[in-house]
Amino acid sequence: MGNWERLVWNQRDVLLAGLAVTVEVCFIAFAAAIVGGLMLCLARIYVAPLRPLAVVLIEFFRDTPIYVQLIWVAYAWPELFGFPNSFYTAGWLALALQSSGYLAETFRTGIEGVPRGQREAAFAVGMSPIQTFGRIVMPQVALSTAPSIVNQFTVIVKSSTLISVITVPDLMSQSQRLVNVWYEPIEILTATAALYILFVFLVSLSGKLLADALRRRYGLAAS
Amino acid sequence: MPEALKQAFDLSLFWEYRAILLQGLLFNAMVFACAAAVALSVGLGAALLRVNRLLPARWLGTLHVEVFRNAPDYIMLVWVHFVLPLLISKLIGQRVEFHPFLSAVIALCFVYSGYFAETFRAGIQAIPRGNLDAGRAFGMSEATILWRITLPQVVRRMLPEALNQFVSLFKATTIVSLIAVPDLMYNVSMVTQQEMRPLPLYTGAALTYFLIIFVLASGVRAFSERWRRKILA
Repeated sequence: MGNWERLVWNQRDVLLAGLAVTVEVCFIAFAAAIVGGLMLCLARIYVAPLRPLAVVLIEFFRDTPIYVQLIWVAYAWPELFGFPNSFYTAGWLALALQSSGYLAETFRTGIEGVPRGQREAAFAVGMSPIQTFGRIVMPQVALSTAPSIVNQFTVIVKSSTLISVITVPDLMSQSQRLVNVWYEPIEILTATAALYILFVFLVSLSGKLLADALRRRYGLAAS
Repeated sequence: MPEALKQAFDLSLFWEYRAILLQGLLFNAMVFACAAAVALSVGLGAALLRVNRLLPARWLGTLHVEVFRNAPDYIMLVWVHFVLPLLISKLIGQRVEFHPFLSAVIALCFVYSGYFAETFRAGIQAIPRGNLDAGRAFGMSEATILWRITLPQVVRRMLPEALNQFVSLFKATTIVSLIAVPDLMYNVSMVTQQEMRPLPLYTGAALTYFLIIFVLASGVRAFSERWRRKILA
């Protein structure tokens, strides 16, 4: 147990600092992915001229491996678009892009799941399209897609390990730094893996509980 | 900016290195094939543990699924490559090292066996009890029941889901470049270091992967729809 104390417990500040960066990046990416996904989805469904572009973007984000996207955003985008100008931004941006593609499809399923009759009823009582969307469609979409959205967060956390490759000082990168200092990977890497697994487990557990709660409360057929 | 755009999609450099890049893609395919085969078998094993009558077996199966489904691919890869050989060395008292290719296959197999186990389990539990009872009444052994009654139905039911997971597994093979398996992404990085032109090379890599996975994923989607309509309806 001496090794565990020396290599993991005594290094807890470093590891926790890494964990803090991981959590921060994941939440930024998650928020950006929800906004981006919603925009892509709305463009795809409601804005006819933008539909082809939205479809191409959604497919591209979904069907390109996250590692490839990350490297592409980090090393090709600065030349191509002039940003992102830090690896930190590139990290969360790549994570957000990937998830926005998936979330756009999730939102689309949710929106298409709202019965047509409800929209017609809203128009019949004189609601504007925006009111209909904000008061009739969106609340139901938010409920029915909430569990999938939480699941997408687990994907972000898992993919976030890769941002260590572009030198963002997240948990993965701190633990690899410790390994390079001490040359004793067993305890450090096992502890890191356990931390990640626990983190992802807690997130997916809360997603499951949320799905159950919503089903009980609103009788939704949550996925 | 249009100049940069022109450069990004100037794939002549990418084309120039096609031999080495194709070789890399072949490595992706090999890692994928090996990991998929092993992950399927391990996944089936874990699923059988989870539906076992013995409580400890069920615990073991659940532990397997929860650990590996919640583990990020990359940390598993690093752990298998750097920690597992040391643990084995300590156990057998002899120095062991894993070839990067082997580590890649083991790591991806671990992670995806967790996903496959859940798919198998859902399929197994969807089979009516009567089918198994009928098999027993005919005097079939448990193994025969598994092989002739359970598995054919499970495979039919899980096929669309499993194909999706295969596509995810293929996407995940890109990270094996990080432990120096010479796959497409690894070779692209090598060429980039030589040519100092990340823009066209990384764009080319992203487009290549996108095309391959888009074709695979669309094929799977079309196939699954047909399959659900015709076979499962």
